[in-house]
Amino acid sequence: MFFLVGFLNAQVSNFSDIDFKKADSVALSNHGEDLTSLPELSFKLTASLTTDVERFRAIYRWVCTNIANDYGLYLKNNRKRQRFKDDSLKLEEWNTKFRRKLFKKLQKKKRTICTGYAYLVKSLANFANIECEIVQGYGRVSTTNIKTLDLPNHSWNAVKLNGKWYLCDPTWASGIPKPKTGKFHFKYNDGFFLANPKLFAVNHFPIESRWWLLEDNIPSFEQFLNAPVIYGKAYKNLELHNEPQQMHHNIKKHGKVTFAYVLKNSINTEDVKLLLDDGFDNSKTSPTSISINNTCLKLEHQFNKTGFYDVHLYLGEDLISTYTVEVTNN
Amino acid sequence: MKTQNFTLKPANKTFTFIAIFMVALFAVNASYSQTNERTITGVVSNEDGPLPGANITLEGTNVGAVTDGNGEFKFPKKLKSGDVLIFSYLGYETQKIIIDDKTNYITLELTPDMVEMIGDLDTNTPYKTKRRKS
Repeated sequence: MFFLVGFLNAQVSNFSDIDFKKADSVALSNHGEDLTSLPELSFKLTASLTTDVERFRAIYRWVCTNIANDYGLYLKNNRKRQRFKDDSLKLEEWNTKFRRKLFKKLQKKKRTICTGYAYLVKSLANFANIECEIVQGYGRVSTTNIKTLDLPNHSWNAVKLNGKWYLCDPTWASGIPKPKTGKFHFKYNDGFFLANPKLFAVNHFPIESRWWLLEDNIPSFEQFLNAPVIYGKAYKNLELHNEPQQMHHNIKKHGKVTFAYVLKNSINTEDVKLLLDDGFDNSKTSPTSISINNTCLKLEHQFNKTGFYDVHLYLGEDLISTYTVEVTNN
Repeated sequence: MKTQNFTLKPANKTFTFIAIFMVALFAVNASYSQTNERTITGVVSNEDGPLPGANITLEGTNVGAVTDGNGEFKFPKKLKSGDVLIFSYLGYETQKIIIDDKTNYITLELTPDMVEMIGDLDTNTPYKTKRRKS
């Protein structure tokens, strides 16, 4: 039972009594440090801090704000992995070659892809005597083609603090590359730091099941693929994404879809909008009903016209999630 | 009953003195080598040969060395038995070496961390259903 409670509470709110300003300022004061000596960098980031969570925070924040995502490397790796996916020898050969290239690039240029972020966070944490692991698995974003998602495509971290494991995603927290230009933009998203494992499970599927950090309702791979798309801003605004659990809905004309969330901070009803896109027009509208009870947000929306809709949830200017709804005649 | 004579002859006296001296010398030498602080040197390599730029750190401190162009290092602080040196290089498994009485020169090969390198990107691009053109 204690074990279960441990899982349930494995999120950043456990440390609400800790102000991360000091850890963040340590990360900032070491901005631009190079990666020639990880033990020394780890020492610089942690020596002045007193708790493990602050030490880990300084390391995580430093990695998120100093390491760029390399879009070219990502594309190349994806291409090769797809090409060799049915030839394990060639895939292994490619992995070995790519691994060397990637570490060299990380050290010299401070550019990498997911595993490089997770690797660096783990290494720096380990030098500070903090238990930390790389979690390999599947990550899903709005542009992920779920029909071809047959090889693991994402890495993140699990970290043990005060005897409990927590999850974080340094890659997605670091910023967003623009696919057209490939230019990476640092934009730190704090929502991925020690995120609620239930929210994490909406778009992170670990290969090793122990890294769900969930006591029950562990999704199957199919459920994972059929889950709604959530965006980085979901981690900023939501504690939990409770309903709906599927991306796609078939309903009859005048039928309703129900949405339920737990928010990090309460909001005003006028900040909740749905953007409906039927392929021809798109318009922001208020849901048919909104109820906000402290941090519980519940919405219903009635669809009165037939069609196939992409339904995007916005909280203020932040795009949170997307669902698809096909509305047919009775 | 024959009484034993415990008086040593001069030759025996000399022998005993030498023996005691040698035992004492040995004892001092043994304790000396246990607490003796020594300069540790060594060479670090990887699968390609000597590895320049590898880090060697004394556990629990920020004291360290970096291997030179030949993969060689000389640790800046004198070390004693029981000290732990941490050998690391980005992309390779970190190894610990405990200094014992006999450690003077360390030869170590680091092995690559066999982590599979993968990566997908986050995006703010709104999801868009692919629709047939009508």
